[in-house]
Amino acid sequence: MKTLKLTESRRDILSGYIYVLPALIFMLVLIGYPIVYNFLISFQKLDAMNINSGVREFIGFENYKKVLSDEVMGIAFKNTFIYTIASLAFQFTIGFALALFFNNKFKLAKPIRGFMVISYMMPITVTALMFKFMLSPSNGIINDIMVAIGIIDAPIPWLLQESTALWGLIIANSWIGIPFNMLLLTTGLSNISEEIYESASVDGANGLQKFIHITLPLLKPAILSVLMLGFVYTFKVFDLVFVMTSGGPVNSTEVLSTFSYRLSFKYYYFGQGAAVANILFLCLFAVALVYLKMIGKEEV
Amino acid sequence: MKSMFKRVMFKERNRSIIYSIIGILIGAVFLFPLYWIVVSSLKTDVEIFAIPQTFFPTKLEWSNYTEQLFGKNNAFRAYINSTIIALSAMTTSMILGIPAAYGLARYKIPGKKAIITTFLVTQMLPSSLVLTPLFLTFSKLKLLNTYFAPIFSVATISIPFIVIILRPIFKTYPIEIEDAAKIDGCNRFSAFFRIVLPMSKPGIITVASFSFIHGWNDLVYSMTFNNKEIYRPMTATIYNLITEFGTQWNKVMAYGVLLVLPVVCMFVFLQKYIISGLTNGSVKG
Repeated sequence: MKTLKLTESRRDILSGYIYVLPALIFMLVLIGYPIVYNFLISFQKLDAMNINSGVREFIGFENYKKVLSDEVMGIAFKNTFIYTIASLAFQFTIGFALALFFNNKFKLAKPIRGFMVISYMMPITVTALMFKFMLSPSNGIINDIMVAIGIIDAPIPWLLQESTALWGLIIANSWIGIPFNMLLLTTGLSNISEEIYESASVDGANGLQKFIHITLPLLKPAILSVLMLGFVYTFKVFDLVFVMTSGGPVNSTEVLSTFSYRLSFKYYYFGQGAAVANILFLCLFAVALVYLKMIGKEEV
Repeated sequence: MKSMFKRVMFKERNRSIIYSIIGILIGAVFLFPLYWIVVSSLKTDVEIFAIPQTFFPTKLEWSNYTEQLFGKNNAFRAYINSTIIALSAMTTSMILGIPAAYGLARYKIPGKKAIITTFLVTQMLPSSLVLTPLFLTFSKLKLLNTYFAPIFSVATISIPFIVIILRPIFKTYPIEIEDAAKIDGCNRFSAFFRIVLPMSKPGIITVASFSFIHGWNDLVYSMTFNNKEIYRPMTATIYNLITEFGTQWNKVMAYGVLLVLPVVCMFVFLQKYIISGLTNGSVKG
């Protein structure tokens, strides 16, 4: 009897692996191996000169030293952080406000909210070009409207001058991210039961008090995951920056991923590009760990 | 008492109408960019530069579209490429991802937690991390300038997503259903195909639409692994258009509309699935 049971559980393990292994192997080959490979490349001298020869010199931390002493690296680092924090601030506050509004019960709440999510699903290439067009100084509608309302006196060449280019990207990215924030926070809001608010009303709490003492604390897990996921997705931005500004003008919108791409695929300094990618990965990994620890509390 | 009740009802309804109006305004402002690319794509070369801007084109210039589709830009070719890449990436990810989600939901296998965590983490990786190694590997395997390079790369984004969405769904099914099927003569694999898969249709639609959109929207893999025009999808060709046309935004926007169209159509029809996928994919895990 015992041996029968044992073989059965063994067969279970075997069938389990039959289902899981193909995907796992695929991922190990196309993601796991490249991560390790990238790590190796970052310690090698690998550029256009020796890419085809197969002879690669191990140069220790030389690539890291080089990129870290490059002034563009500092700019890219700073830009990535400004871009991430500012985008998160806009997406979160506006997304939260919209979530609170659409959490009211009215007929069109769900369909309108649903349709807004389309901005998140659109190809970033199109969104990027669309905003590039709308922010253009000669015939951009955003400038037109701002001049008409009187916010600015003359059209701003948003993406063409160093002082505003990054903000142009932040505006576009906020538009993409708002519905995502709204959606997740709405889900969190709908999980808070009416009764808590009702009993608070009985105790004489006003709207603001209810928001601070009930909504915010109960929404904390949703808020944290929105912010952390938002951080990870924003911090690794590539497409949007690449299409809208390609890092320019004069590096004013260079972020870590575009810098890494430029080093590797424009100058063919693959070793240095890999080093920058690894630094980017390290930043993301730290945040991802916190996130995993947070959701890890639930059953995996 | 009755009149008070009526008054409350009336107030309630009024509030609902006011909220609806505000809601429509918010939606209109937020979705204005979409309206704007459609309108701009129909403007003539003269009107696109008119100041002040016109909110309705005075003359519809359909040639912006026909030029893209039948002219030298040959959006047709790019359309086909995008479709090939998106559909193949979708198929590949589903063939690999769905069984993996099931295996991780149903069986107690050693290392399960680590495997699930790995799938979760891969969703957070920057593409630049794997770009150079994949480029070198694909180059060695002679996969550069083929459809396979972007298809395989995109599948690595979709497979974890499928596992994250479908595993919790599979877990909700009681094992008795499959046991019953086994008594009826199914083995464990045919029980999966004939019982579990049909039950999970909504989940399958969700992951299929996401897998398709991942492939359709990809720029970086196609751009890096393909330098031949004939293999390039729309996302990569529109990027080149902007340098070619300078600021002829009406033509660029027409191409943009063509590129967005399938995503919008899918979204309209499958909204329910896409939205549930977005919330589940991020909150659960």
